[in-house]
Amino acid sequence: MPLRFEKSLYDLIRGLRNHKGNEKEYIQNCLKECRSEIKSQDMDVKATALLKIIYLEMNGHDMSWASFHVLEVMSSPKYHQKRVGYLGAVQSFKTDTEVLMLATNLLKKDLSASSPIVISLPIAALPHIITPSLALSVLADLLPRLSHSHAAIRKKTIVTLYRLALVYPETLRAAWPKIKERLMDKNEDPSVTAAIVNVVCELGWRRPQDFLPLAPRLFELLVDGGNNWMAIKLIKLFATLTPLEPRLVRKLLPPLTDLIRTTPAMSLLYECINGIIQGGILGDSEDDGREEIASLCVSKLRGMITFNGDANLKYVALLAFNRIVVTHPFLVAQQEDVIMECIDSEDITIRIKALDLVQGMVSSDNLMSIVSRLMRQLKTSSSSNNDQLDDLSTDSSEEMGAERRSRKRDEAPPLPEDYQIDVIGRILKMCSQNNYSSVVDFDWYIDVLTQLIRIAPASRKEIDLDGIALGAKSATADISESIGNELRNVAVKVKAVRVAAVRAAELIIAKLTMESTSHQVTSGSLKPVAWIAGEYAYQLSNPSDTLNHLLQLIPRIRPPEVLATCLQASMKLFALIAGNDQTYWTAERKSMVSLLMARVIHTYEPLITHPSLEVQERAVEFTELLKLTAEAASAQAPSTDELQQDPPLLLTQAIPSLFQGWELNSVAVGAQLNVPMPEGLDLDEPIHPNLGSLLAQADSLMLPIQEDDEFAAYYNEKAAPTSISSEPAINRLRDAPETASSGSYQQATEDSYLDADIIARRKAERAERNRDDPFYIGGLGSPSRSQGTSTPIHNILQNENGPDLDIDSIPIMKLDLGAISSSGVGAPGSYQQPKAPKSRPQIVVAADETLVGSRPSTPRTGSQHDSDPDPPSASAKSRAAKKLKQSLLQVDSSHLRNLSLEASQSDDPGTLPHEKLAETDEEMAKAMKEVQRLRLEMQRANERIQVAQGVPMEGVVVKSKKKKKDKDGEKEGKKGKKAKAKVEGGDGADDEKEKKVKKKKKATEGSQEDVAVEGGPVGGEGDAVAVKKKKKDKEGTVKKKKPKRIIQLDDDETGAGAGNGEGVEAGEP
Amino acid sequence: MINAFLVFNGQGQPRLTKFYTQLDTSIQQRLISEIFTLVANRPKGSCNFLPLPPLLAASSTSTSSSEPHNDVPSLVTYRNYATLYFIIISTSTESPLALIDLIQVYVESLDRLFENVCELDLIFNFETLHATLGEMIVGGVVIETNMEKIVQGVRAQGTVAKRPVNESRGGGMGLGSGLGAGLGMGGNFVWSGR
Repeated sequence: MPLRFEKSLYDLIRGLRNHKGNEKEYIQNCLKECRSEIKSQDMDVKATALLKIIYLEMNGHDMSWASFHVLEVMSSPKYHQKRVGYLGAVQSFKTDTEVLMLATNLLKKDLSASSPIVISLPIAALPHIITPSLALSVLADLLPRLSHSHAAIRKKTIVTLYRLALVYPETLRAAWPKIKERLMDKNEDPSVTAAIVNVVCELGWRRPQDFLPLAPRLFELLVDGGNNWMAIKLIKLFATLTPLEPRLVRKLLPPLTDLIRTTPAMSLLYECINGIIQGGILGDSEDDGREEIASLCVSKLRGMITFNGDANLKYVALLAFNRIVVTHPFLVAQQEDVIMECIDSEDITIRIKALDLVQGMVSSDNLMSIVSRLMRQLKTSSSSNNDQLDDLSTDSSEEMGAERRSRKRDEAPPLPEDYQIDVIGRILKMCSQNNYSSVVDFDWYIDVLTQLIRIAPASRKEIDLDGIALGAKSATADISESIGNELRNVAVKVKAVRVAAVRAAELIIAKLTMESTSHQVTSGSLKPVAWIAGEYAYQLSNPSDTLNHLLQLIPRIRPPEVLATCLQASMKLFALIAGNDQTYWTAERKSMVSLLMARVIHTYEPLITHPSLEVQERAVEFTELLKLTAEAASAQAPSTDELQQDPPLLLTQAIPSLFQGWELNSVAVGAQLNVPMPEGLDLDEPIHPNLGSLLAQADSLMLPIQEDDEFAAYYNEKAAPTSISSEPAINRLRDAPETASSGSYQQATEDSYLDADIIARRKAERAERNRDDPFYIGGLGSPSRSQGTSTPIHNILQNENGPDLDIDSIPIMKLDLGAISSSGVGAPGSYQQPKAPKSRPQIVVAADETLVGSRPSTPRTGSQHDSDPDPPSASAKSRAAKKLKQSLLQVDSSHLRNLSLEASQSDDPGTLPHEKLAETDEEMAKAMKEVQRLRLEMQRANERIQVAQGVPMEGVVVKSKKKKKDKDGEKEGKKGKKAKAKVEGGDGADDEKEKKVKKKKKATEGSQEDVAVEGGPVGGEGDAVAVKKKKKDKEGTVKKKKPKRIIQLDDDETGAGAGNGEGVEAGEP
Repeated sequence: MINAFLVFNGQGQPRLTKFYTQLDTSIQQRLISEIFTLVANRPKGSCNFLPLPPLLAASSTSTSSSEPHNDVPSLVTYRNYATLYFIIISTSTESPLALIDLIQVYVESLDRLFENVCELDLIFNFETLHATLGEMIVGGVVIETNMEKIVQGVRAQGTVAKRPVNESRGGGMGLGSGLGAGLGMGGNFVWSGR
């Protein structure tokens, strides 16, 4: 044995461990070594290098560059080397790996090897690298392995055939009869039977009707199989079959109930129940037996949830409930108590599943308690997350801090951010569904929203992986924006609580200002919240403070949309503050207004050059307007004792009139699209024939002063007719009396007590509830009140109960429902009075306005895409997009759906004749395309081999290549004939490509002969680029048709990915 | 079907990665680290199922949630043995409880092959890991759950090496390159988590 200096895998791993700290450098060195070692002539060195590369690949170092060497090692005659090669192929080859075409013959050869362990290698590798063309060529060699003498080979072959069928459905036509034969054979090795059952189970849900004939045999296996693994799969399979053959149910019920009652295996028990659920065996309870089994299942599932200590059972039981809830919601509703328990589980997985369930069970009765549970989770999690913010907390006394610390110690690690976002999204969805039909107490809802904005994950949080950071950032921004949107929706839709919503907005703005001094403002909630403050400025408790806050915020806002909204909002606020025409123009007022204007202008001016046009336009507009107003204001002398002066009209009339138009109502999502296009309107027509020259002139043009007034007038006059024309009569009926007499009877009473005492009481409550909340600011303003009511009791309770009493564990809602007063805490009895009337549910939630033809909808929140009443075109588009985006890790099996197993039977219910025809056409075209591609690639391979051949070289590689070349040649001839019928356009492309290949070849031949060995793969790579380009061109031309096609197919194959795109394209006539 | 089978240790270093569908190396690594962060934060007594990592969740929500698609990976099962985590990513057609058992079978088979398996064995014999897995799962479908047959199948491919101390015995593992490599370091080898 010659002396070796190369590292073994063992050395590599050991080296890795010894180079802690500078592993990167070490790995780079190793990779460099491997790169040279793998080119060695010595197969042992080559294989070792490959093994090292595979090991490094596992740790994230790409090895796609080595694919040619993988192939070389695969072709080694020694098993242990071959095995390394195959491992490399499995781990690194992709369907687009170029050398895959070269591997075909090797795979075929190894498939027909004599040693069973060698046969196993290609069989196990094929599923990882399979392409339709490869499937086509190895199928003939793979099929005979179904009857190999070794059971191990047989069962692996069956699975591999299944994976072949996924990409090349025709496989099944040839293989299915043989597989079926194996399944029916009672003397077959039980593990082979089990493997077949596994495969049939995978195929079963795709084409259940094809497997109905097997039912008797499967039933037999279920009853006397004695193998739990197989029984589980069989039950899963039957669950997909029973919907097609109801008679199966009667046959299945006895063995299933039997299994449920007797089996010691929990997994089998669960799958029995699951199968009964999924198979629709629970039924419509017209049958006594079924009712019995339903209650048996549900009670078992309930037992699984309550069963002590096994979280897995809890999880799977929830999974099962999630399935039952679709068909039998009442059965699940009975289990509400245990499910609710699961929401508070430490285990996030269980929580999420429970949440899925609960979401469907929400009603006005339990909404508050559900949301309160979730809120509590979020809050405790965020308080432990934001420790540094705790310190900023205003009133955290010593013992409170201690309590919090102790709580933190025995608390689960903070919730992951995406879970928090998910939960917030669900809260919003639960509350807003059916146009807020479940929300009884909107004041409460506003409080919840305010709280949510505070605990929503901060979007400035950095995440390690840059790729993810982007996504997470947008998600967090989204979630706080959708919370804000909810608040806005409530403000717009529920007039009765608008005041409260506006006050909440006020608080949020104040908090944002204080919280993030010098920071960028990132909360997405600012946009809707600022809008509320601007639009309903007259309801703010302190408009000038809010204006102040906004002016402070504006320079720190980054996103242009938010900035634009804030500009508008601050202008509205200014109009309200300065535009009062009731009071006289005193000297005091004059100086106040001038100062304010100067401030506003100062804030706006930097934005005049803002890159976003929207921001720029508003900034320019408002600055100019304000400058004019400032001039007018300074010109107007203040009123003296003898002479009363009115404030300038610009201030009192013009500016406010900019913003006082019609009340804004919520409009259904799709409503705009239903506005009929006026006749004779051509949107493509230029606005002005000389637009270009007009724009050129515009640079030198000065805006006349009256423009703004005209615009204001225009706004007021024109608004009326359009809104009337688009507003359904019914909406006006409801709105009209309100605007006329400031509210209906109902709302008037609501308002009266809301304003007077409820708000006060709310504030007190809020102060108390938020004592633990570091973000709470409202308490600052009224320390006497909040302390007077809650602090002493709080302290007493805390002292007496110690850390056991968790204030946060008191559900928020309990406070609302008068729990405080009943327990003698805080609120005086008189406060209960306003709470008592049952008028709350009668709060009017304005429906979205819409035109005939579109459905009314609940407002959109971020996560609520399902219920979008999108117009058909848009939804179809989105579905098409969905189809194009295939899930990660997903195996695309959509081809398989089009294949009928019983092709010979004409009475197959699955495919209609015309479908079949289209299918064969499509397949034909697909096959043609494949053949063509195959031919191209083989040609290329040939070229490469010729290059390599030019060099005298010893060793196995070349030899095997020669052989391959011959075979390739033969094959090519065959394919060429077959492909004669192909499209001419494709030929043109081929010729061009061939030329390129030849050029390459010449280039490589021209180079030094010694290098030629390496020149092979290098040249190959060059070719690859050329081919890819060609392919792309081809694809580009056909792709245009693709979206349409997918929409047509949509109903048949949901979730077909981009992967089958080529096939579809080829099917285009 | 099973979409991926992963093994990594308590520091998130992969010991075995097997994806039954093709995935870029970089995405594989991201997925592993996402799963690792999920798995590392599990409180005591939680179940053996993980919520979907963001990478998978993002792609699975794109298909309509109302009708769960059987092709989409929707279940992440894990099991923790000493310093190692074993992960299976699968679609909803697999039985969750059976997957937990499947991991058990895998680990027990390894234990039988290595005699008292430990992380070191897995590090230095990752080929055997692949071979064992290959006897249980092919192309994402379970082909064998009988431990006897699995062990038999692996042994048929060559003798299984013990940990590095006995590296010289590893001729069956092939490559013939380990000869002499273990000299001088076999005895004082200290495991320090790489």
